[in-house]
Amino acid sequence: MTSYRVEPARVKDETFAIQTYQLTKVFNNLVAVDGIELNIKKGELFALLGPNGAGKTTTINMLCCLLKPTGGTATVMGYDINQQPFKIKKIIGVSPQETAISEHLNPQENLNLIGKIHGVSSRELRIRSQQLLETMGLTDRAKDQVRKFSGGMKRRLNIMMALIHNPEVLFLDEPTLGLDPQARRAIWEYITQLKGEKTILLTTHYMDEADFLADRIGIMDEGKLVALGTSTELKINMLEKHTMIIYAWNLTQKVINEMRSKYAEVEVTGSTMTITDKKLDFKEIVDLLHSSGATVRSAYIKEPSLDDVFLHITGKELRE
Amino acid sequence: MRFWEISKRNLKELYRDPVALGFLLGMPVVFILIFTFAFGGQATRPISIGVVDEDQSQISAAFVSSLEYIPALGVVSPVFQSQSQAEEKLDTGGLSIYLLIPRGFGEAVERHQAIDLEVAYNQADPILSQRAVPVISAAALEFLKIPIPLNIELREREVKLKDEYINYLVPGMTVFGLMVLITSVGGIMVRDRAKGFLSRLMTTPAKPSDFIFGYTLPFIPVIVISVAIYLGVGVLMGLSIIGNLGLAFLILFIMGICCLGIGMILGTLAKSEEQASAAPWIFIVPLAMISGGWWSVELMPSVIRSIAEALPFLHAMDASRAVLTRGVGLEAISYDFLFLVGWAVGIFAIGVILFRRSMRS
Repeated sequence: MTSYRVEPARVKDETFAIQTYQLTKVFNNLVAVDGIELNIKKGELFALLGPNGAGKTTTINMLCCLLKPTGGTATVMGYDINQQPFKIKKIIGVSPQETAISEHLNPQENLNLIGKIHGVSSRELRIRSQQLLETMGLTDRAKDQVRKFSGGMKRRLNIMMALIHNPEVLFLDEPTLGLDPQARRAIWEYITQLKGEKTILLTTHYMDEADFLADRIGIMDEGKLVALGTSTELKINMLEKHTMIIYAWNLTQKVINEMRSKYAEVEVTGSTMTITDKKLDFKEIVDLLHSSGATVRSAYIKEPSLDDVFLHITGKELRE
Repeated sequence: MRFWEISKRNLKELYRDPVALGFLLGMPVVFILIFTFAFGGQATRPISIGVVDEDQSQISAAFVSSLEYIPALGVVSPVFQSQSQAEEKLDTGGLSIYLLIPRGFGEAVERHQAIDLEVAYNQADPILSQRAVPVISAAALEFLKIPIPLNIELREREVKLKDEYINYLVPGMTVFGLMVLITSVGGIMVRDRAKGFLSRLMTTPAKPSDFIFGYTLPFIPVIVISVAIYLGVGVLMGLSIIGNLGLAFLILFIMGICCLGIGMILGTLAKSEEQASAAPWIFIVPLAMISGGWWSVELMPSVIRSIAEALPFLHAMDASRAVLTRGVGLEAISYDFLFLVGWAVGIFAIGVILFRRSMRS
């Protein structure tokens, strides 16, 4: 497998909101997080992408000071997670993977609880919760107990509770887990609005979510950070092979054999031919097919997706 | 005041969940009704008791007469003139228990001196003495009208002074009922942890003590209401309160605090809701038994008694019984009282330490 370099992060830099230094967590004999080195810039939306059990939540839990690292350390806005956990807790907002809300309280009361623990004044709390309830479309249900809410509404409240005290750094652990596409899209839109205002570390195992939201993506697998970069960088740099899909008539055995003699992988299903190789020339392939007797109706070079990147890096597919 | 915010939330969670609240407050009523109907109360047959009047004074005769009016006692007629007559009856099975009024009883009453009475009983029936002695005690105090030190000595010294069985039962049941709080506090903490809510709160600047007080304070009204229900229903079922009700309430309240502390530690250490809510019953019922909830610890092996003495339940039961049904003051139960206070402080200190560790594992 190709080796990928992760960013070195040894020097404290004020441009970074989060820096990890060989951050490691071992549960009994299981290495959940294996020496992660990571720098997240202030105002950046960074997505940790990986399958269940990759170590994403463990990483977030260490950064939120819920778990003590077995080795290494990290800083959040310059505060050390081992030495200054309560300083960090004052400036972060966390939306856990579970919809961690108080079921017999209404949204307003849930927001008040977190706000007041953070020392937000009643007046400020009233203004902020009104804004949040309006933005998240929960104003009409502000006085209803949340146990009667749908999954999507609970997720929205979960995120609101992480924002009520206006934190500098926001941790969103699988913010759209289990939601239908419409509800996911609504949350994405809200997270997009926060981009640039706050530093956001988001974990997800949805490729499209990371692709849509993140400024940069870190791919985690088996506790290790195996790739890092923007979505485009990851797609371009890490794919050694390209794929072309052709829809054509008259794909005879002669045509197929001729293509197979020139390209590494050629698959044919009905009238669809898929050609994969390190280098593909669109015009050359179309001309070759025409000269062999096939009639090309349509053809395109397939853009690599994050799924392809993940498969390529880890050798396995990322399943939901 | 972060603990106050957590506390308010937990109180709302508690009173907005009718099933949980019904379990907490309904259980005392069910317990006390079942147990008093089954083992105590007005329906119990009168205790057949012989009386030996060695004093033969007008006062002793009047005292015997007063005993005859006590519904819970059936004084065997005639009154024995000497102890040997009563002992013979006891030995031949004609009598299970008798009361000896010694010489000098009348004089002691007149001079307001300490009065000694003696109760002899068939050792094979220790429960009988537990029922009879407190009735005699209450009757004597009622007869004397003024608080003269009264000492009723049991012949075999097998059983300490206790009240009528319902008087024995109610404080025991109250403490047992308060033990329900152990599972309630533990349960709510573990449930919050399982749902991730506790973890969310742990990402805020709240300190361990905020959590400890935040999770226990909402149960303070529950303790007050539970104890009121237990004692109130107890009175309706025949509990006779002689002593300072406020002091008894305080003792039981501190017992409740100890239970909250134990529940909080349970909630910190338990890994699942089942561990916090169901498993403790394996210990709670035996603990109530060995602490004298239903019968005297005097009847138990010394090892069991030592275990019971190391825990707060026995002390709460003994002290509240002594105050409620023997009318003793704080001084007489100071050891039990201080033991309870010490236990409450200690258990909360341990709770904070354990919770602090659990906040970052």
